[in-house]
Amino acid sequence: MTGPGAQLLQQVINGLAVGAVYALIALGYTMVYGIIELINFAHGEIYMMGAYAGIIILSALLALGAPLGWALIMAFLASMLLTGLYGVATERLAYRPLRGASRLAPLISALGMSIFFQQYVLLSQGARDKIFPVELSSGGFAAAGVKVSYIQAAILLVATILMAGLTAFVQRTRMGRAMRASAQDPCMASLSGVPVNSVIAMTFFIGSALAAVAGFMIAMYYGKVNYLVGYIAGLKAFVAAVLGGIGNIPGAMVGGLVLGVVESLAAGYIGGEYKDVVAFGILIAVLIARPEGLMGTRLPEKV
Amino acid sequence: MQVHPFILLPSYFILGLLKAHSLLSNRSEGTKTMSMMGRLAAFAKDNRFAAPASALFFGLLALPFMGLARASILALAVLIFRLAAIFGRVPQGLRLPHGLGRAKTFFANLPPAATSSAPLLLVALLAGMAFILDPYTLDVATTACIYALLALGLNIVVGMAGLLVLGFAAFYGVGAYAYAILNTHYGLGFWTCLPIGGGLAALFGLLLGLPTLRLRGDYLAIVTLGFGEITRITLNNWDSLTNGPNGILGVAPPSLFGFSFDHPRHYFLLALALVSISVFVLNRLDKSRIGRAWVAMREDETAAEAMGVPTLRLKLLAFSLAAFWGGVAGVFFAGKQLFVSPESFNFLESVMVLCMVVLGGMGSVPGAVLGAVLLSFLPEVLRGVEEYRLLAFGLAMVLMMRYRPSGIWPEAHRVLESREAPRG
Amino acid sequence: MAGMSACGAAGRSVRVAVVGPMTGEQAKQGKDMADGARLAVAEWNAKGGVLGRPVELLMGDDAQDPKQANSLANKMWTRGVVLVVGHYNSSCTIPASEIYNLRHMVMITPASTNPKVTDRGYKTLFRICGRDDQQGMVGARYVVRAMPNAKVAVLHDKTTYGQGLADEFLKNYEQMSSRKVVYYGAIVKEDQDYSAVLTSLKALDPDLLYFGGLYPQAGLLVRQMRQLGLKATLMAGDGTYDPEFIRIAGANNAEGSLLTFMPDQEKIPGAQAVISNYRKRFGEVGPYSLYSYEAMNIGLAALSKAGALDGLKAAAVIHASSFDTVFGPIRFDAKGDVLESPYVVWRVESGRLVQIPRQ
Repeated sequence: MTGPGAQLLQQVINGLAVGAVYALIALGYTMVYGIIELINFAHGEIYMMGAYAGIIILSALLALGAPLGWALIMAFLASMLLTGLYGVATERLAYRPLRGASRLAPLISALGMSIFFQQYVLLSQGARDKIFPVELSSGGFAAAGVKVSYIQAAILLVATILMAGLTAFVQRTRMGRAMRASAQDPCMASLSGVPVNSVIAMTFFIGSALAAVAGFMIAMYYGKVNYLVGYIAGLKAFVAAVLGGIGNIPGAMVGGLVLGVVESLAAGYIGGEYKDVVAFGILIAVLIARPEGLMGTRLPEKV
Repeated sequence: MQVHPFILLPSYFILGLLKAHSLLSNRSEGTKTMSMMGRLAAFAKDNRFAAPASALFFGLLALPFMGLARASILALAVLIFRLAAIFGRVPQGLRLPHGLGRAKTFFANLPPAATSSAPLLLVALLAGMAFILDPYTLDVATTACIYALLALGLNIVVGMAGLLVLGFAAFYGVGAYAYAILNTHYGLGFWTCLPIGGGLAALFGLLLGLPTLRLRGDYLAIVTLGFGEITRITLNNWDSLTNGPNGILGVAPPSLFGFSFDHPRHYFLLALALVSISVFVLNRLDKSRIGRAWVAMREDETAAEAMGVPTLRLKLLAFSLAAFWGGVAGVFFAGKQLFVSPESFNFLESVMVLCMVVLGGMGSVPGAVLGAVLLSFLPEVLRGVEEYRLLAFGLAMVLMMRYRPSGIWPEAHRVLESREAPRG
Repeated sequence: MAGMSACGAAGRSVRVAVVGPMTGEQAKQGKDMADGARLAVAEWNAKGGVLGRPVELLMGDDAQDPKQANSLANKMWTRGVVLVVGHYNSSCTIPASEIYNLRHMVMITPASTNPKVTDRGYKTLFRICGRDDQQGMVGARYVVRAMPNAKVAVLHDKTTYGQGLADEFLKNYEQMSSRKVVYYGAIVKEDQDYSAVLTSLKALDPDLLYFGGLYPQAGLLVRQMRQLGLKATLMAGDGTYDPEFIRIAGANNAEGSLLTFMPDQEKIPGAQAVISNYRKRFGEVGPYSLYSYEAMNIGLAALSKAGALDGLKAAAVIHASSFDTVFGPIRFDAKGDVLESPYVVWRVESGRLVQIPRQ
């Protein structure tokens, strides 16, 4: 039936699908860190809220009688927009006022926002799983004992397009250039006329919208979501961002994919219960041995 | 429609921020003396759309999650509050509740003999309460004492030394499991295990500290978080040692000369003694050379190092001391609950303790105890709205960082600093 | 202070409690338990109470956290409670029962199935539902008879309940069939993606996957099995008895899945009057509502028969007597378990859970 080779390939494919989602979330961490050097703990929750928003909007559209295809696309876009705005609001209310405070202050504020969002969704949406309103086909492409489900294929495709789009945006556009300038030296950028506050808001918007995409696709993939998923996914994505070199956009993508595959192999060949130990083990090892990550460059600490 | 606390809490939060923001951004010399008409005119000129726009913004954000009715109430509340804020007074950060502030001045102005005996009196008073209060209140008070020990420990590393640790529950767990395992397998008693559990946790702290010393603050936070998770997962999976998810049952309560501490009153007195000793020791430590060196390191590590402060050794010391207190709290916890299981040492527990330290005042020894007591008794006070407890904690952390980063009972150094250089 | 008024008031009424997960993911199960107990207490009060005094029902939330369950037990003791119905999760019942035993309080759980609940030989602990070893045995017997040549794999969620149940199934299955299972492993409950473990399983091509765990994870497992093209039938325990299981898995994917649970309440003739009463007051009858109802009835009957608010005496009465319940007469063995194993096998048929006739 299926040989060890096919099994390995299947594990890698499963890992890539999960890894692509990690990568999309990791982009948000890495972009924010690149500009304001803050670990945005609430980002995992933003992802979770993206998934909820997608399901809620999709259910509403279907209830209003929208055709499935349109409803899916509209819900997808609307959840990106809404979640992006949540990101902007978070920055505005919880982080911006703390610029210039001690390093601990924004971290603790971010932790507080994370708890707040988790409870906000718990209290408004209930503790039971939120179920994706449409049952999508579990079919897929199969060959030689390896199966790629349609949803896995869609995740990989959408993630690739978005990452390519983001790279082009950061490299080619005026806003992208402003982002890179602010990341290098916010003070200098501001002096040269870059509207740093708007750039930061934009960064939060894009990062959160990408997390919403990840959330929406995961809700489609697993068929459900609950208010707790943000914590683990956020942590994993953070590991991915660190693995690739935090602040580094291509690094986040590579880190996400690598982490997804490593986890998948660990769960498949060592045992499901140790999957998270492997992920955190990697995080600690990378931070201690090569804090600049796989693709980062070492910079002297700013004094 | 009944006004649900769920609507109120986030509303207060957003409104509070908005109010403060609108006030702070208008805080020029002129606004304070401007007449009511002047303010209105200025408002009409600058902010004609700002208030409705932000009301609409927050209403829309909340709409999918809270539904139309609640989201509209929220939007309306934002609108009213933003309009009201224009006529409000300018708050300068959050002030202490009046009584507490007065109490502090009262204590500060006491003659030295009274101040040195006041803590003793307080402990005696609390010990006396043990014979008056009912067992349930004593049980809650004992839990508050366990959290106080944890907060005192975490305060060493987060508050005094300025290193954010997010996996503190790991040390707590190490202490608790140390007693549970040594007691059920080898019959060791509580008093033997108290230093062993603390020491073992300190060793863990040292092991965690050694490789992470050179990491920057936020990386350190994440590494300790990962360490905490790994510890919990290990406790859950190492079945032969920890009995996995079932935990360890049948842990013996503490006993002394054949007298077994199994009533809430005994536990409370024992916990009170542990907390009192800890406060005494940590107060001395805070005022010692080491304490001052930690402050120097926290405020500016590079400068401290340049002045000859051995920062690496000090960080290690902070880690292992903090872990020691976590371990001691764990041993006591196991002796009180009579069982341990991995869920008790999860990330949320670490966050709770951090919340207590932040609320009380980072770096402040009495603040840590105060924070622990407040947050432990909070669910008892908030009967019926307990579900909103964590929501409120999250908000409190954000608001504290913004308006009163020094906490309810700021540490002495910070008070001095803020007196010397008023923040502008 | 809420706690302070407790001491004096205990003299008037007979205080009993129902405890379980009243908030969080399992709030529905907690409410079912609470409503069952409420109905029983209301009926007793309508008949004049117990020992000539009214019965006062206290509610306690353990939030499915062992530590909170433990302090809740302490709290109920300090409030003068002598009879507790609960908890829901075995991981809560076991630590809390240390306190109930220490303080001589009668505890009857309507839902905790882990054998350790009653295996410690405590005198005041009872269980009105079945045990995981009975449940594992019923599951294993079904598999051995209905699918004699099946390749069987076992998975659990690494919790007290899940791992305990999976181990009981494994033990019984290997004894009855003298075959080995082809796989034994665990998933992480907080995780959503089990495809790695399932891919390893796929290579072994099992016909049946036994899962020790709860419905959200079971639903995801079936869903991901089908996505990977794994055809094995899923079998699980009472923790999967919830319509959400089918919704999460998707009706097509869940079709044919098996689980062990108590018999269909709609088919018990003696239960219909209570069920209609319950519906009138609280709405739909949950899986554990009637067990909680009868647990409270048995406890109150025992107190009344013992003639005093004394946990040890009441426990002795429960051990010695037979009780008429909607499920038929119930007797307890020396450990505090019911004598008859109540479990039957259910199957998902056309998107609904249907009881399979006993074999």
